[in-house]
Amino acid sequence: MNHPLLALRDLTVRYTGRTREVAAVRGVDLTLQAGETLGLAGESGCGKSTLAMSVLRLLPASASIGGQILLDGEDVSTMKWGRLRAVRWTTASVVFQGAMHALNPVRRVRDQIAEPIVLHAPSPPAAAALRKRVDALLAQVELPAVKGDAFPHELSGGQKQRVMIAMALACDPRLVIADEPTTALDVIVQAQVLELMTRLVAEQDIGLVMISHDLAVLASTCQRLAVMYEGEIVEQGESRAVIADPRHEHTRALAAAFPTVGDPVYRYAPATSNELGLPDPPPATESPGEPLLAARDVRVTFTGRGRALTHAVAGVDLDVRAGEIVALVGQSGSGKTTLARTILGLQHLTGGRISFDGAELPTSAKGLRAYRRRVQLVLQDPTSALNPRHSVYESVAEGLRIHRVAGDEREHVAAALEAAELRPPEEFMPLLPHQLSGGQRQRVVIAGALALRPQLLVADEPVASLDASVRGEILALLLRLRARLGLAALVITHDLGLAWNIADRVAVMYQGELVEVGSVDEVLAHPHHDYTKSLLAALPTTG
Amino acid sequence: MTAPSPRALAWRRRGAAFAAGWRQFASQRSGLVGLGLLVVIVLLAILAPVITDQGGLDVTEATGGTMAPPDGEYPLGTDRSGRSVLLLTLWSSRVSLLVGFVATLLSIAIGTVIGILAAHYGRWVSAGLMRVTDFFLVIPSLVLAIALSTVMERGIGTIILAIGLTSWPSAARLVRAQTLTIEARPYIERSKALGGGHLHVITKHVLPAVLPLVFVNTTLAVGSAIVAESTLSFLGLGDPDPMRPSWGTMLRSAWLDSAVLAGAWWYLLPPGIAIAIVVLAFTMCGRALEAVLNPRLREG
Repeated sequence: MNHPLLALRDLTVRYTGRTREVAAVRGVDLTLQAGETLGLAGESGCGKSTLAMSVLRLLPASASIGGQILLDGEDVSTMKWGRLRAVRWTTASVVFQGAMHALNPVRRVRDQIAEPIVLHAPSPPAAAALRKRVDALLAQVELPAVKGDAFPHELSGGQKQRVMIAMALACDPRLVIADEPTTALDVIVQAQVLELMTRLVAEQDIGLVMISHDLAVLASTCQRLAVMYEGEIVEQGESRAVIADPRHEHTRALAAAFPTVGDPVYRYAPATSNELGLPDPPPATESPGEPLLAARDVRVTFTGRGRALTHAVAGVDLDVRAGEIVALVGQSGSGKTTLARTILGLQHLTGGRISFDGAELPTSAKGLRAYRRRVQLVLQDPTSALNPRHSVYESVAEGLRIHRVAGDEREHVAAALEAAELRPPEEFMPLLPHQLSGGQRQRVVIAGALALRPQLLVADEPVASLDASVRGEILALLLRLRARLGLAALVITHDLGLAWNIADRVAVMYQGELVEVGSVDEVLAHPHHDYTKSLLAALPTTG
Repeated sequence: MTAPSPRALAWRRRGAAFAAGWRQFASQRSGLVGLGLLVVIVLLAILAPVITDQGGLDVTEATGGTMAPPDGEYPLGTDRSGRSVLLLTLWSSRVSLLVGFVATLLSIAIGTVIGILAAHYGRWVSAGLMRVTDFFLVIPSLVLAIALSTVMERGIGTIILAIGLTSWPSAARLVRAQTLTIEARPYIERSKALGGGHLHVITKHVLPAVLPLVFVNTTLAVGSAIVAESTLSFLGLGDPDPMRPSWGTMLRSAWLDSAVLAGAWWYLLPPGIAIAIVVLAFTMCGRALEAVLNPRLREG
């Protein structure tokens, strides 16, 4: 064996659109030896997924490939269709992004895992042998054989991801390409999946190319790292070396975007290159004032099919004081979004009470309307949180019009855009959401909330769908808004690093209850509850 | 120089969107043909009193022979009373098109309101409204229309009501489905969190998003309303006034006058072909519009 498992020579991929050509990958050289692991990092749109899919020629017809893709010494781009079909899955396989959409919802996972085996077998394998093989694959990914008879919707996100990995391993490939395999998963599940992949790669001597935007995830699994930026590889080397001493500016931004929890350098300091800088950390006040928002024994119960009750929020006490940033941390399904919706009056309380500024949360339509001037929501995905038919101006002015705010509407909108640091505001006003970047869209959503001059901002995963470099900018904006306007914020997140970056206090939510509440320094440095400890332990480390 | 107001900008944007939509529409030949046919037919119907004399419809003043075949004076022959079939067909288009348009507008309006309300309020409102919709969906609409037009006074208004009240359920179902997908978008949640009430959400977010669909549906529905009108008139439930004929009443009188036995094809074919052409034109327009407004259809 003298040729590498995978070698890319001056690879370029161009997408020809109706009006213009886009070069997604521009002159990439990469080599991967058998049994090696390579992490491919970069922001969305940098071409990393295109690069990965080009290895098996899984690109749309509008893509044209230049250069060489040598898989085991054989050029993929010149392979005949039959040969390509044989190579797909037996030599190289893919763990696709988004396990929930990559599985067929109407077939049992056992059959889906067996599909490539049946397709690639020279003669149809016996049912018993096939069953044994699938059971063995399920065992490899630490799933009991019974789960094979489940349908995808009966499995959790982590289990689905394991099924995807089992599928990828079905034909004993020598190369596995994992495209953002853990992006949609919780920290704890992510840690398990990463551990599983590391073990499998080591045991079976598979070459692994793993794609992610999260350097910490890659660093904990891969020996080597390649950082992509605008279609080119800007930095490549040993994982440790790249992260400890990033040479390219973009790598530095990526590395800084995922803070190390517990490191004082990152406390109140999200990565930002904005010239406005960061406000000073708030002075430690020992005498807490009256809470702005007080939730007492809040309960929300849903009635599901068959009258089964789900206690999404089961007795939560939470305070947010004026000018304070509180992070509500928990994994998906812990009830944190339901709690946020309840605080905004979008979800009815089953029990307990919520008071704001000393007054009970109103229930009448009129009372709620007045209340919502003072408490505002920022949603997770800014792309879908803005009406695609409304311009920036209309989106920001929407709240002003609903509340018939006195004064010049245009001035209010300009001030709100200014506050959200979209400058100059006049240039942004006529644009439609699709003409903005993700970070700009989130700023528009924030401006729309700020236009009403609220006292409290409830932000549901405000940066989860944003790129690493934008993430820091938005978090820094929240800190600056707090310093300038005294705006309190309740930030809902699954990311402990975010809490470490900006929050004063943190509340950890687990199965509808708050298991630990306290100042960030205290809780994250000396966790008491087991769940908090396991959350912290599951964080991928770059070290 | 002051910056243009946001309202002006919004209108300018809509103008640009309309122009882009028109270019898309114009690239489809069948849509253009349909539109051209419609323009000609509607112009002829509107200008009928100007280019012809309504007196020719009066049986007492008819001058032609009884069921005379086409000749120079009467290019499409005459009916039993000696009236020109061409004149009748031309004047009939007025009633047929009027009933088609108004009945469709009525049915689409009912359907849109019910669909949006059902989807927006959900729960028991949706359950109640959808059961009503199902009721209208399962009873044969023709029978209901016949029942309605026998109970009420005969005339154009009754026909419009009968068609409008029986053909809205499919529109309601369609609009409800579209509204449900719109209401699931996070920007609706944002709008509610901003303090927007039901009226705000419906008029600012839901209605503009379902309108294109409603528009396409309207175009497609006009054709079937015209067919329904012809059917009802053919069955003798149309306007009895001979001065206001429709294609359906023409077919009815041709049938009553045993035009087939007499071999008077010129009496039967013109109204039948007219119906076919108008329905076809509306369908062609509607399909082309659908392709413009629904990008998913454009790819196929």
